[in-house]
Amino acid sequence: MTLKSLYTFTLLFVISLYSSFGQNQKGYTIENDEVVFTFHRSDYETLSHDEAGNRISFDDLTVENVVVAGEFNNWSKYNWKMTKIDKDTYQLRKPLSKFEDNFTWQFKFIINNEYWAEPTKDASNIVDAIDLNGQHLHVYNLKMYPQAYPSNNGNVRFRLRGYEDARNVIVAGSFNKWDEHSFKMYKIEKGWELKVQMKPGNYEYRFIVDGNWIEDPSNPDKVRNEFYEFNSRLNVGKYVTFLLKGYQDAKNVILSGSFNDWNENDLEMTKTNNGYWKCRLALPAGKHHYKFIVDGNWIIDPDNSVKEYDSEGNINSVCMIK
Amino acid sequence: MRITFYILFFCSFHLFGFNKETFTLLSFPQAELLSSNTTRIPFKLVDHLIVIEAQLLNQTGNFIIDTGSETLILNKNHFEGRNSSLKASKQTSGVLELIDNPLEKRLREFIIKDLVIQNKLSDVIDLSHIEVSKKIHLLGIIGYDILKDYEIFVDMHLNQITLTKINDKGEKLDKSVYLEKVIDSVNFKLKNHTIVIEATVNGQTLKFGLDTAAEYNQLNKTINKNALKQFFPKQRLQLIGASGQKIEVLAGKLYRVKLTESIYFGPMVTILTNLTQMNNAFGTNLDGVLGYEFFRQQRTIINYKKEKLYFVKNPLYKQ
Repeated sequence: MTLKSLYTFTLLFVISLYSSFGQNQKGYTIENDEVVFTFHRSDYETLSHDEAGNRISFDDLTVENVVVAGEFNNWSKYNWKMTKIDKDTYQLRKPLSKFEDNFTWQFKFIINNEYWAEPTKDASNIVDAIDLNGQHLHVYNLKMYPQAYPSNNGNVRFRLRGYEDARNVIVAGSFNKWDEHSFKMYKIEKGWELKVQMKPGNYEYRFIVDGNWIEDPSNPDKVRNEFYEFNSRLNVGKYVTFLLKGYQDAKNVILSGSFNDWNENDLEMTKTNNGYWKCRLALPAGKHHYKFIVDGNWIIDPDNSVKEYDSEGNINSVCMIK
Repeated sequence: MRITFYILFFCSFHLFGFNKETFTLLSFPQAELLSSNTTRIPFKLVDHLIVIEAQLLNQTGNFIIDTGSETLILNKNHFEGRNSSLKASKQTSGVLELIDNPLEKRLREFIIKDLVIQNKLSDVIDLSHIEVSKKIHLLGIIGYDILKDYEIFVDMHLNQITLTKINDKGEKLDKSVYLEKVIDSVNFKLKNHTIVIEATVNGQTLKFGLDTAAEYNQLNKTINKNALKQFFPKQRLQLIGASGQKIEVLAGKLYRVKLTESIYFGPMVTILTNLTQMNNAFGTNLDGVLGYEFFRQQRTIINYKKEKLYFVKNPLYKQ
């Protein structure tokens, strides 16, 4: 793959801009390797009970305990008890790895092991609750996305210019199974924006402006879809560090690979104090072949067992970004 | 540079209306061609399915790599009119409607496979329910029919499949294909098109089918109690059939699956189910099916002619 074809993909990296807009996914956040379920009393106005049809006002109940119940724990009303943080806030932390088996999970908070806290309509991650027989329960569940999720610190920023009169703009893509509701964009000056945290990979996406699907007008990288329109494409990469141990007497060491069209000068590695040569750079998702050039001699990475032949029969080290 | 690789295969199915002498072209636009006998095709994981991009009969779309499928299956949705005699439809197949989403696809695919078995010549099948549940443009499923002529390296580290041509004895036509260390190998038996391996669970020997398109491992309810002790259920899932009958399965983790002295598996997500129907359909006597989790934990090479699996060293992460 040449440098040119590599960079026809859009490359987006970590953006750490401050945003005054809150994450609009209710009930959970994902922090590093943990899912943090958070219950704020003020997010819920009414409660429901399995045995009773009518809603109860939250103000009529004293909260003794809060439990997270969902598909991940077979909707147990007892098992995942939350910790009280303050008068109106409860929290529970679980490792993200527990949730990686599935793409989405539905859940809800249950008060005093009995009363379901009913999410209001303004949360973007609500979904119609359906019972085991497929009947609508006429309430909402909350939905979580462990693999891609809106976050103020997200590594991808979607931005749509214009459409200032639109009421509702959604970004949907292969990263959230083309969900038409959940990833609501927020209004910014002269357009719409949403920051999403997602794993490195190749994705396709579109915007839904008041119900109309459009491609991203500012992204030239697009592919024809089955509806004879276009999906926009996105390659989410990450920063990687290449290290070569030893060779302390070498005068210069170059990193060269398929990612820079095997350029022999571009990427000079720097000598570290602890006996390594080092080079840190951003790479797009996918497979990359590389080698080190030590004082003019090409070598494969002695510490990487993953290597492949290229089409000419040369042997290269292989680095996978995913 | 993108190199297009072509696999020529003689079209032996009647559905295209071709004679046996004519052929059609299945090509992989993203493949890296190493020689005329070897190619690497990158795949993406759609949930737990291995999906590659391919072109067939002027259409570009996705194909699922499925060692559990006997033939190449084409999606009727996109290849309509190629088999007018096909009666298989959602209605007649009694597709399971599932409430607990994660298992949906797998059980639905069982139904598809049953159809394949029932209508051996009916290789054009409506796969639109997989398209709906996976939200992908699916042209078809690549199965045993095509894969058997190659040694297949399913590499979940580099997210690619290497196909290299083999002769009748299973010897690779290319000498230099892999550079990485093969750490172990194990024999399997081919029962019709199903790869059957023996593995021990808690000291008990069990027969497993190996299926690249099984998104979740499956364990038959009727297996030895000692082995069953290593299955730790986490949740009970209820499935609703089209005719309204309920099927309940247990999902959990299976521990201590060991293939050889050096090849063993960490806890694998598994569902406990009844495999009688599948065993009858495939003429097998399986205690379980190993799928995505198996390949996720072991970089595996499959050689159908030698009836052998090889395992490639997993790299230590350093970046």
